[in-house]
Amino acid sequence: MGYAEQVLPFLVPRIRWALEKFRRVAPEKWVKLEEIRLRAEQPLQVEGGQSLFVRADGVPTTRPDQALKVEAPDVLRTVQLMGGNSLYTLEEELKEGFITLAGGHRVGLAGECLVGRGSLLRLKRVTSINIRIARQLKGISLQLLPFLTRDGRPLRTIIISPPQAGKTTLLRDLIRSFSNGEAGSAPVKVGLVDERGEVAGSYRGVPQLDVGMRTDVLTGCPKREGVFLLLRSMGPQLIATDEIGRPGDLDLIEEILNTGVGFITTAHAWDTKDLALRPSLQRLCAQGLVERVVVLSRRLGPGTLEGVWNGRTKEALLSQVQRLEVKG
Amino acid sequence: MKMIGAFLVIAASTMAGWVYSTLLKKRLHLLNALVQCFQWLETEVGYGSVPLGEAFMRISARLPKEVHVLLSSFAAELNGTAGLTADEAWQKILTQNREGLALKAEDWALLTDFGWTLGTTDREHQVSAIRQTIARLRHQATEAEEECEKNERLYRYLGIAAGTLVVLLFY
Repeated sequence: MGYAEQVLPFLVPRIRWALEKFRRVAPEKWVKLEEIRLRAEQPLQVEGGQSLFVRADGVPTTRPDQALKVEAPDVLRTVQLMGGNSLYTLEEELKEGFITLAGGHRVGLAGECLVGRGSLLRLKRVTSINIRIARQLKGISLQLLPFLTRDGRPLRTIIISPPQAGKTTLLRDLIRSFSNGEAGSAPVKVGLVDERGEVAGSYRGVPQLDVGMRTDVLTGCPKREGVFLLLRSMGPQLIATDEIGRPGDLDLIEEILNTGVGFITTAHAWDTKDLALRPSLQRLCAQGLVERVVVLSRRLGPGTLEGVWNGRTKEALLSQVQRLEVKG
Repeated sequence: MKMIGAFLVIAASTMAGWVYSTLLKKRLHLLNALVQCFQWLETEVGYGSVPLGEAFMRISARLPKEVHVLLSSFAAELNGTAGLTADEAWQKILTQNREGLALKAEDWALLTDFGWTLGTTDREHQVSAIRQTIARLRHQATEAEEECEKNERLYRYLGIAAGTLVVLLFY
């Protein structure tokens, strides 16, 4: 099933029709689609290397006045459809600000908030939706494996990149490769704490994207509790988590390292210099806790590999800029 | 010849009386089935936080045929791709099934009201709306039961009596 079948049924018919036509009119743009954006009273936008508007007849355009205008009820109704017409099933999602669709597509939400005792209770009225198309590129991690393993054992790795450069896609494929034992590495049991449900794209608990045969996934669980739950009960040899960055995350990693289990995660940063500027991440590198740093960018398009560094010695192991590709 | 005619008249009016009395009974059965349905729904929504489409699909399988048709077509509408909200789908299904079910106008009004907030509020509010509907359905059911007891026989006898009267007048 392609992502069209996974995403389009959740959009209000008016917008769904326009996008279905867009898919037929401009298939070459459709396959590169990264985001679909619905904002109340704004033109319908799609992002895929280039920011475009979509007309009611599906033709992509750069002129906002010709594009299909998204009305406020369209946005509200789309959220309702995404919750199976049962908003009460989205209580947690409206608090966190995102929904995960079957297939792992992440839908970001913004709008009017309901606040109680100074903290966000939930989104009251959603006026902006950002649908991020999840893509699985099986095999993109294979060329990196030799740099991230020693004697077939995965090294403690952090993937850093700006948004939309393919962090999660690479992390997912690395987990899959380690778990399946691809390209000569010994298969390991992986425990994945998928706090935001983006890596495995779980729908009702079952991963929709391939994260390997030896991977146990804990979906929607806070990292700290999740990591310890897995360590206690599932005996993982490698712990993987999605994006770290909150202050508490660092202590967590230190604790994991003390248990002697492998570790792989991602973080938001533009490059290694930027990484060094963020106090919480800086400590990680300074202490030599991270053995490998993989840096991605969008320089040659999403999934551009800037290089692989040794986290301890800061020595570059691979510095040739290239696009990560699926090698058949 | 006259005898046959008289017999037919009596038979027809008896039948009419009988049909009317069964309608009363049917309404009572329907209301009771709906009470049951909303009680299950309360569990599905309140404890399981199950989406409406799935919840109604599951519930409808356990209910008598007429209610089953109503609820499973609602579930199908929700799970379909028409992009209707829960309320729109609910009202559509109610209109479609209005002819086929032995319910009174006030029962329909109650079901229509239920659709208003369906699926658009948080769990707590959904549960309280379901409970309110159950209470109203129970009230209607009690009324239907009383009416049944009081009038069931009446309508049957009335049917026979009316037929006999017509025959006596014209014989």
